[in-house]
Amino acid sequence: MAPKATPNGNVAQSSARATPSNIPAVVGINLGNSYASIAVYTKEGQAECIANENGERQIACAIAFHGEEIYVGNQAMPQLVKNAQNTITGFRNLLGKKFSEIDQSISSNSAPVIQHPTETDTPAYKVDILQPAPSPLPTSVSNTPAASHAPTPRSEPVFSTRILTPQEVTTMFLSSLLQSASDFLGKPIFGAVITSPPSFTQTQKDALKQAAEDAGVRVLQLIDEASAVLTTTTSSQWPGGAEDRTQLIVDVGASSLSLSVIALRSGLGYIMGSKTMTNAATVGGDALSSLLVKHFAKEFKKKTKVDLPQPPSTKDDIRATTKLLLALEYTKRTLSASPTPASLSVESLHSGMDFTATIARMRFDLLASPVYTAISSEIKSLLDSISVDPHAIDEIAYVGGTACLPGLDSHLLTSVGFSENLQTAFSNSTTGNGAIGDPTGVLSIGCAMQAALLLEIQGSPELIQAFEQAEDVKMTARTIGMLFPTAGAEESEGLGGVYISVLHKHTPLPARRIFEVEVTLSGGESVKATKFGFEVWEVEEGIKADKVILPKSELDDDEEGEEPEEIKTKTITKRNFLGALFGETKGTASKDKSKKGTYTAPLQIEFVLGMDDVLTVEARDSKGEKVGELRVEC
Amino acid sequence: MAIPALPAEYTPPASTSKLTPTVVQPAGKLLTAGPAFLAHVRLMRHHNGDVRAADAAARAAAEAAAAAKANEAGEDDDLGVGDESEDDALLALDPKEWKKQDHYRVLGLSHLRWRTTPEQIKIAHRKKVLRHHPDKKASDNTASVLGLNVNTNDDAFFKCIQKAHEVLTHPERRRQFDSVDPQFLEEIEDVPTEKDFKGKTSPAFLSTFAPIFEREARFSRIQPVPPLAVPTDGLPSTDPSDIAGHEFPKLKMHVEAFYDFWYNFDSWRSFEYLDKEVNEGSDARDDKRYTEKKNKAERARRKKDDIARVRGIVDLCMSVDPRIRHIKQQEKVAREAKKMAGGKKGTPVTTPAAAAAAKKAEEEAKAKKEEEEKAAKADAKKAKAAAATAAKKARRAARAAEEGEAA
Repeated sequence: MAPKATPNGNVAQSSARATPSNIPAVVGINLGNSYASIAVYTKEGQAECIANENGERQIACAIAFHGEEIYVGNQAMPQLVKNAQNTITGFRNLLGKKFSEIDQSISSNSAPVIQHPTETDTPAYKVDILQPAPSPLPTSVSNTPAASHAPTPRSEPVFSTRILTPQEVTTMFLSSLLQSASDFLGKPIFGAVITSPPSFTQTQKDALKQAAEDAGVRVLQLIDEASAVLTTTTSSQWPGGAEDRTQLIVDVGASSLSLSVIALRSGLGYIMGSKTMTNAATVGGDALSSLLVKHFAKEFKKKTKVDLPQPPSTKDDIRATTKLLLALEYTKRTLSASPTPASLSVESLHSGMDFTATIARMRFDLLASPVYTAISSEIKSLLDSISVDPHAIDEIAYVGGTACLPGLDSHLLTSVGFSENLQTAFSNSTTGNGAIGDPTGVLSIGCAMQAALLLEIQGSPELIQAFEQAEDVKMTARTIGMLFPTAGAEESEGLGGVYISVLHKHTPLPARRIFEVEVTLSGGESVKATKFGFEVWEVEEGIKADKVILPKSELDDDEEGEEPEEIKTKTITKRNFLGALFGETKGTASKDKSKKGTYTAPLQIEFVLGMDDVLTVEARDSKGEKVGELRVEC
Repeated sequence: MAIPALPAEYTPPASTSKLTPTVVQPAGKLLTAGPAFLAHVRLMRHHNGDVRAADAAARAAAEAAAAAKANEAGEDDDLGVGDESEDDALLALDPKEWKKQDHYRVLGLSHLRWRTTPEQIKIAHRKKVLRHHPDKKASDNTASVLGLNVNTNDDAFFKCIQKAHEVLTHPERRRQFDSVDPQFLEEIEDVPTEKDFKGKTSPAFLSTFAPIFEREARFSRIQPVPPLAVPTDGLPSTDPSDIAGHEFPKLKMHVEAFYDFWYNFDSWRSFEYLDKEVNEGSDARDDKRYTEKKNKAERARRKKDDIARVRGIVDLCMSVDPRIRHIKQQEKVAREAKKMAGGKKGTPVTTPAAAAAAKKAEEEAKAKKEEEEKAAKADAKKAKAAAATAAKKARRAARAAEEGEAA
């Protein structure tokens, strides 16, 4: 199977080599305003956030023009120091916007947004570039009487300017991301799913779509962050998490914070409430950075007696601040990754003075506490507005690099009042490895999964249509559960038996849940027990808050320790009795000696609530034969 | 989840209520992403939200997919290669004893054996190497986990795999191994003997001999080899002696061609694989020559034995072949019929009774003829004798007359 050699000895480029597999490659792209990430399906069939050729998983959304060179991604960021006028950042939020709509008050240290010189009301960037000189005109032989031995000097490149619209910049950036992905996979990219923030209007979405199409990729779908998180967190790769749960998405971007409470019902999700803050000065990674810059500016002054005023005013100060900001990115990442103090080191920060400092997590969390508090108060207000108790949240899905900070997690846990069983990336210890549970890759991995899903159904346009626009859907009004009555536990424990919640409140119809339980059989006269049974109830779930005065510890000296602590527990109250299901099945004798004479049988209990509002409960034995049935109508 | 038993005197609440009516989107629209949403959309669009109908459709689709996969597996001979189970005895093979190992078994090809294509050998070898490469074994070595430096001889089976691959990918060496394929040697042990056919219940002819010739056919230099059974257009004959349902000329031609082929069987089977190892080294040149000579003689002997063995099988087969008997009988009948037809022109003999009558008539005619001939002979003799006496008399009379004149 050696490649065929062409006459001149080169290996022929066969078309088979370009596409090793027949399955088209799809990617998921999370395009943030500051950072982007790409995820693909690896050979092992797992969606994974991949690093670009520079080894970066979080790719800075920046493009810098320097002479004849164009830098894309993290390489463009150092250009902000000396070449800020030709470095474009933050272009995503300008997509599809008119020049008049753009808030000019926000100062930025990168290339300014200007009015497009020819098109009306269009934002644009103007960058200085060096255009490669045109090749000299071919001269005829007759004009040269004597050939010179010296080579023809290369003509100098010409100074020129280039006008770029945000859409063109996005196209350039996306095509570099796609190039990285296709290099990784070794085959061309067929399609992509890209995130778009919920704040995007249809025009902006269209502009983003157009930019991607220009970059040479088919946009399978634009999904918002909540959908991308949903896809990731309901996949089998995601660590932990019950089938039905309430999830809080905390997406801390560089300049934005978006919070959503999502009800997950066996993979289907809907937003119970959400809140997005863009260009926020108090929340997000930029706010954190500016606090840190202030801190380090003070440190710098203390060490070197060189003043670095914040906010900077002179050109030198701005340059020094930019240098500090760039170095801080790495400090923040180190702090997220390891509990040891992180170092910060900038050569020739200001007036030729070098700066080296370290910062411990504790100190950092103290500095960052205003940002943390701002985030936690936003979460509190969101939960209040949709009247969801923090205790009812089962999982927090952190999104974004700033959300990798362990200090943020511990602050939220203590200040908002979540339950102790809350699942987070930190409780599952999945941060910082680029795998599925890592906050930085959640969105892009979700996009890749969604892309693979859409690729599967490319043949059926009616299904794809359904993904474009959600339709109205019926939902259950109350939680339905089953109750296995037990002898000892009368009303003392509230319910009088073992309760299993089946269909949570607001489960979209049609719904089906299957439970596998091991029942102990009972039966009167016969030697072998054969009977089993359970009740089906509609219940109401609530949260009970008890004020408990903790027993005073002896070592505690302060007198004010008598403050009662609130302990919250989930409660279940029976509302409507829907019916009872009884059946008989063959059991096997229990192997446990202490329970001699008892018989147990594995049962599969299936609940189906169809579109006709009829609840059917079916119990099946281990062979799959029906041993009991119950039907409840509306 | 374990559930305790129902209380003995349990009675469910008497009054039941109905399901609380559903609500339409109290909170928000579904997020249009994720596999569950796709399943939901499919359910709504294709099955009108009926879970049972969707189940049935999914089951049908799964069955169709399985069937398609099975079909594909039938077409593609790569599948199923190298997936055979490996028992401990196989894994404990000693690479030093590679001559004794069953190379096909080592590569997991024992269900295909000599039918294995080179492509399949390649695939099977790759699969085995992936599983048994020493680099892979290093990680799950319990001894090294415990910190013990034990030489576990982990690459032994890998060496066996490499040896098997080496033998099977070299056409000549593979032929040598196929000649002494352990499974083949085992199979030729239980060949039926004449004794089996002498008893009252002799084994069915076709089902006994067809597999024997089928497995011998692999050694033929001339391919394809004519099968024992007479080829048919449609279904194979159900007659165990393979006579019924065939046209006689076709049957005769096939059977004759079959025995003709097998009596002139040209086999490539050779026995180099069983050669004794020649001691290498210049000091043992005589030894080497001696061994080579012995090997050559042994090979020739084995080959002779093998030819005799095949001949024996063919002889036995032919001696018990019901078709040969059938052919002989048919031919005899045909011959006689022909003769009969020659005696009485235009009135061909049709029934055995007529044939018998004809025979009788013929015999009678013959006897008569003989008698006549005998009589004629006797008459001739008499006439001859009479003539002789007459001549004698005449001569005597003449002599007496001469004597009378002289006197």
